This record gives sequence, structure tokens and C-alpha cells, in this order.
Amino acid sequence: MTLVKIRKVISGIIFVLFVLLFLGPEKWSVFLSDVIAPFQFVPSLVQTATAPSGLFMAGFIFIVLMTLIFGRVYCSFLCPLGTLQDLIIAGSRRLGLLPGHAFAGPHNGLRYALLASTAAAAVIGSLSLVSLLDPYSLAGRFFSHFLQPLVVGAYNLGIAALKPFDVYWYPKQTAFVPLSVLAATAAFFLLILYLAATRGRLYCNTVCPVGTFLGLVARFSVFQLTVNPKACSECVRCENVCKAGCIDSHNAFVDMSRCIGCLNCLDACSQSAIRYRRRQRQPHAGAWSPSRRGFVMGGIAAAAALLALNTKLRAWIDIRRAQAEPPVTPPGSRDIAHFTRACTACSLCVSVCPTQVLTPAFMDFGASGLMQPKMNYEKSFCDYECSLCSRVCPTGALASLSLEEKKLTQIGEAELLENICVVYVDHNNCGACGEVCPTHAIRFADKKNILYPEIDRQYCIGCGACQLACPTAPRSIVVHANPVHKKAEKYISPETTVGQKKPADDEFPF
Amino acid sequence: MADATKFNRREILQKGLSLGLIAGGAVILGRPAFLSAKEKPAVIPDLVAVKNGEPDALFKKAIELAGGMNQFVKKGQTVVVKPNIGFPRVPEVGATTNPLLIKTIIESCWAAGARRVYVFDNVVTPTSGNARNCYKLSGIEEAAKSARGIIVPVDDFSYRTVKIPGGKTLKTADVHSLILDCDVFINVPVLKHHSSAHLSIAMKNLMGIVKNRMEYHLTGLDQCIADFCLYRRPDLNVVDAYRVLMSRGPAGPGNPRAADVQMKKTLLISKDIVAVDAAAARIFGKDPEDIGYIKIAHAQKTGNMNLKELKIVTYTM
Repeated sequence: MTLVKIRKVISGIIFVLFVLLFLGPEKWSVFLSDVIAPFQFVPSLVQTATAPSGLFMAGFIFIVLMTLIFGRVYCSFLCPLGTLQDLIIAGSRRLGLLPGHAFAGPHNGLRYALLASTAAAAVIGSLSLVSLLDPYSLAGRFFSHFLQPLVVGAYNLGIAALKPFDVYWYPKQTAFVPLSVLAATAAFFLLILYLAATRGRLYCNTVCPVGTFLGLVARFSVFQLTVNPKACSECVRCENVCKAGCIDSHNAFVDMSRCIGCLNCLDACSQSAIRYRRRQRQPHAGAWSPSRRGFVMGGIAAAAALLALNTKLRAWIDIRRAQAEPPVTPPGSRDIAHFTRACTACSLCVSVCPTQVLTPAFMDFGASGLMQPKMNYEKSFCDYECSLCSRVCPTGALASLSLEEKKLTQIGEAELLENICVVYVDHNNCGACGEVCPTHAIRFADKKNILYPEIDRQYCIGCGACQLACPTAPRSIVVHANPVHKKAEKYISPETTVGQKKPADDEFPF
Repeated sequence: MADATKFNRREILQKGLSLGLIAGGAVILGRPAFLSAKEKPAVIPDLVAVKNGEPDALFKKAIELAGGMNQFVKKGQTVVVKPNIGFPRVPEVGATTNPLLIKTIIESCWAAGARRVYVFDNVVTPTSGNARNCYKLSGIEEAAKSARGIIVPVDDFSYRTVKIPGGKTLKTADVHSLILDCDVFINVPVLKHHSSAHLSIAMKNLMGIVKNRMEYHLTGLDQCIADFCLYRRPDLNVVDAYRVLMSRGPAGPGNPRAADVQMKKTLLISKDIVAVDAAAARIFGKDPEDIGYIKIAHAQKTGNMNLKELKIVTYTM
């Protein structure tokens, strides 16, 4: 088995695991999020920075170490967006749209600018650029916003076709994704589709901040792909298969900052002229130019400046956030500031949520968090018996909650608007809110056999079931976010008569 | 054995009248088959109440006292059994119909020669992540399957809009096509406390066959519940009062140990949905006069809430 085949098998397995992570059964998602998410660069980095845990730290160290030894193998083995592009590239080549790859110069200005601004923005507390560009989060949104609706649609069509034969299966639903978010996801998908189909892994080497960062590390990797000019016949076979376009066979040079470690060149070279060798001390003339150094320094300076202005910028972001009523954040997010600084909008929680209450919100969190999910109580409600989102979150934006903890986590508080509630206005029984309240926070006062709802907020956890159930428009009961989550009181039923009142009689009351 | 049969002259008159009404109704509905049933018992009671037994034994005795399942299900007919599976709760909470009762009813339908037996309920959306939670936790999915009943999950596409003749508030309803297309509709509610309707019994259970339930809440729960019965009354109501949730209804607490339930071990059967609700209210310990929809339905002549005027057969196991 050649190295390329091994790479294809490993990356294929990991890609399938990612699809299962997003679209598979709940238990698989929980398991896989612990197994494969720590080995994703951005989740492991963000989790290490915001809510350190051993596994994710180990994953981050593993990725950096691997890069320091072999270069950017991460991009070809572990990155789901990388494998997706490889699939597109293979398809494109088969269709003849992409006859072969060729060496092309780097777009250093663009790639370092993107890396610097992404890092700077992340440091001051906005993950918007990370969310937009990070390959894991991007792949997640493709799975969640496109693949899942396709799969669920096909499934529902299938079970609809079985109905006439008296075979009934439970239909499935997909999350609501607003048009603005769909458009952003579609734009990136088209961009990547186009770039991959015509230019190979250009996204990875020009746009992707993870690729650019790992490229900086890979410059100093222990083993580097090197062309032995004496053995090389300049047949250009290696260039032809190099998806990264980083092999300049005429100058016997491999740009390790852009090499994605696909190992195609090793297979293609009939002379074994290209090989992993220990890094030589004399760097290639073109690899480290003063202008580039200047740019990198500039980027670092810019980041430092932003850091210095940190408090002011943060204040600006927070003001934006405070202006409107803040959205309700999912259980486990602890507070809105932590959440927006740790969520990279991968939409995994959106994908797995059994009630589809999570909606990726385009701008609701202000400048600091594009496409981060919020609780959308106009579409659905948070299932009392579920804490799935907190258990799958790969970045630590949602801390894992046990079901017991989640049941007492008050993410918001319901408010009853008596001036529009039908019971108070029309004096007719309604009670839709109380029927569905899982914590007994809504109780009813009986006045002349009409039951008036009342809220006891200490028990409310802000699940939104009441808001969704309320039949009035606009709703007479609405949940307001707790910017910092609180702990709700546990309702203890005053009736402890279980099994005590035993009607041992034989009488009927009629 | 205490076979207590209450009877008086006025009841006979009343019964004659209601039989006439039912016959007329059946002819209008194009289903006069049961009128020509041969082995009719001497007198068919208006309501049967049985107590102190297990759900399966209670039903078998009650249906026998009501004249047998052949009174209600004929050979080759399609039956829909409509339990209350509105909430994701285990049977011990008393928020859902007893699964053993559902199983027994389905078996009884097969024995009477039914061609198909469906089990359906439209779950209350903001309580269960998906309908499957309700169907599964309640034990009804398993019970129905073991009796070869066809479990039908909820979807949004199987509803048709119908007009409610004489509906005061509820003018139209989106009713599940299974109910519209079946020959026999058996309503099998559970008797339980209800936070906004006082009690949930047979009439309230019919909110589980319509899609526009929110309209009920918006425009007046009691009137709408009563209005729907002007469109269609079930062919048979079987009220499960085996394990009765006395407070925190309709959902009850998730933890069965926190549930305030009383083992009443009672079962009621009637064709008269108002009578059966009135009797169940009494079993719960409430006056039917205090339950809005029972009063309205009685006034709208859907049935009779005055239990004294009915021929009731009671039986204690």
C-alpha cells in the first residue's frame, strides 16, 4: 500500500466520521465529538484558550508536533474541509475540468493579512473571522446547512412513499437556518467548489488561517520534502499531481509553507528524486524574503496594537450587543460574553438539537459573533430532557452539562404580558403555556372556574415551551435572556400523597 | 359479585330518545350497520362503569356489559384507536392512556373482525423533542405493536379541513385523515387533572386529532372543545381511570415518584361523550357543572351530563 493510499483511507475514514458526527444518531455524535473534535486545530485551540481540558490540549499539542515533524499533514489527513476539496478535485480531474496542477507563486500578502486579522480579531474577543474562515467550522456548516436537509428530505420522501402500504415511520426535521446565514454558507461553498475545481487547494494556501499558521510552523519542520536536483529529470510529474501547487521542479524547490502533506509527489516521482529529508540549515533563497518578513512583522504589530486597544474595542462590541435585547444562549454557555468568545459557529449543536430550537443567528450577537447559534423560541423550544448541545460542543463555548444540571440552568426568564394574554383579556380558559411548562413555574389561579396563569420565576429555566405554545400574536408570554445564566430552584411538589389515598371502597359516585 | 343496575321510568324514556337520535345519526353518517346487529342484549346501557381490576380485565368486563365489541366494530371495518399520548411520560405518571388497555382494545377489535386497527395521537409539540419520545415512553408503541396495531406517527400533511356544523366558536377544524376515513373511531382518553381545563377526559382528548389546537386555546378552550363534538363524536369512548393523575396535569412530572396519582382502577365506557366525561369528573371528585366544556356540550345537546337520567350499569370486580 502506498503512502497516498494510506492517506486516502485515513482521511476518508475521518471524513465519514465527521459526517456521522453531524448527521448520525445522538449517541454517536456525543462519542465522536470527544474523539475527533480534539484533533481539529481551531476547536482544540479555542477550547484550550477558553476552557482548558486535557484531551483538547493534547490534541492541540499533537497537531503542532505533527506539523513540526512532517509539515502540514494535518491538512490532508485530519481536515474535513481538506478532504472535501480533495473529493472535488478528484471529480474535477475526472471530468477533465482540471487537467493537471502546476507550480504557482504564493499570495503572501493575502494569506498573512488574513491570518493576522483573524488572530487579532480573536484576541480582542471576536471570533467572526475564525467562524467565517476556519475549515472545521466551514465544513460543519456545509454538513449542517446543506447535507443534513438533503439527507432528511430524502428520508422523508422515502417514508412518505411507504405510507400507502400502511408502513409508518417517524418523519425527521431539520433546523431552521435564516436566509442570510444560508447565503453566507452557500457563498463559501461556491468559492471553495470553484477554487478546488480549478485551482486545487488554493483556499488552503491563501484564505485558510489554519493552513497559513501551520505553514509558518512547517517551515521549520524536522522532515521536509526536498527535490534532489541530481536525480530529478524534470519530468514535472510531481508538479502535475501537487494540489497545493507548491513544487517548483525546475528550481528543485518545495515550498513547505504551502505543502499540504498529501504525499502525491512521492508516489508520482519515478526517480525517487523527491523525498522527506531532514531540514537543511541553508534555506532556499525565495523562501524567506525581507518583504514577507516585513509583512509578518507588520501583522504582529497590528495585532499588538489591537491588543492595546483591546478594552475600547471590546467595549464597542459589548455596546453593540447591549443595544438590542440579547438573544438567549444555549444551556452550558454560562454567559453571553464567554459564549460569543468561544463559539466558532460550526453548527454542530444546530445539527444535533432534537427540537431544532437552535438557529444560527447571522448578526444577532453583534460584530463579535457571526452565525453563532441562539435559542429560537418562535420556531421551537428546548427539550427539558436533553442537554445534547452542551455535550457535543467542540470548542468549549458550551460546557458539558449533565441532565440534572441542565434542568436547573436558567438561561432566561419568562414574562407574562397580562395586557394581551387571552385569559386575562377574554376571561376564557387557555392555559397553553402551563400545559407545556416542564418545571411547574406556571401555575393557575382559579377564579370562578376560569384558570389564570401566573409565573413563579424561581422555577423558570427559560426553555421557551410556553412562548412557543402561546397562541396569541404577538406572544403573551416571552422569554428574556439571562446574559449570565443562573440556577433555578427545584420545584418540590407539596402533594406527597402517592399511594396514600387508597379508595378501597366499591362505591361509584353516581 | 355486585351487579348493581340502576333503572327508572324517566331513564327508559330518555334512552329511547337517545337511541332514536343515535339511529338517526348513524343513518345520516351512512353507517347504520350496528342497528341491525342480531345478538343485541336486552337493554344496552348508556354508560358502563367497572372498577377494582386490572386494565385488561376492566375492559373485557365493561365491553361485555355494554353489549360486546360487535356492537361497535363490524367485520371488515377500519378502526382508529385514539389514546392520549400527548406527553413524553411513562405510564406510572398517569398522563397517558394505559398501554395494556390499548393492547386489549386492539385485540378486541381484531376479535370483532376489524380489517385494520390504527393507533394515533397528535402529541403536544412543545413538550416532546419528537413524537417518538411520547409513543415510546408511554409504552403504547410497544403495546400496540404486540397486538398488531398500526402505530401512525404525526406528520403535517395528513390533515384535511372540515366544517363544524353549528360550531359557535370553532367553525372549521383540520382533522387527521385517519379519523376522517375510518369506519370506527374509538376514543380512549385517560382521566387526569388539567391545568387549564380542570380535567382532561374524552372530549378534551379529541384535541389530539386536530392540527389547529392553538385556535382552541386562542378563542376559548371550553367552547371549542364542545364545538368539535358537533362535527363528530367517537363511536365509542373508553375512559381509563385506572391510574389517575390528581395534580400537575396534563403533563405531570417527569419523575413518576413525584407524580400525585391515585389508583382508582376504574374504567368507563359509553357512546355518549358528555355522559362519560360527567361520570369521569365524578370519579375524579369534581362536579361536572364546574367543567366548562361539559356544561357547554350538554347545552349544545351533544350528550347528557345528568347522570341521574341515564341508564348506568356499574360493576365491581
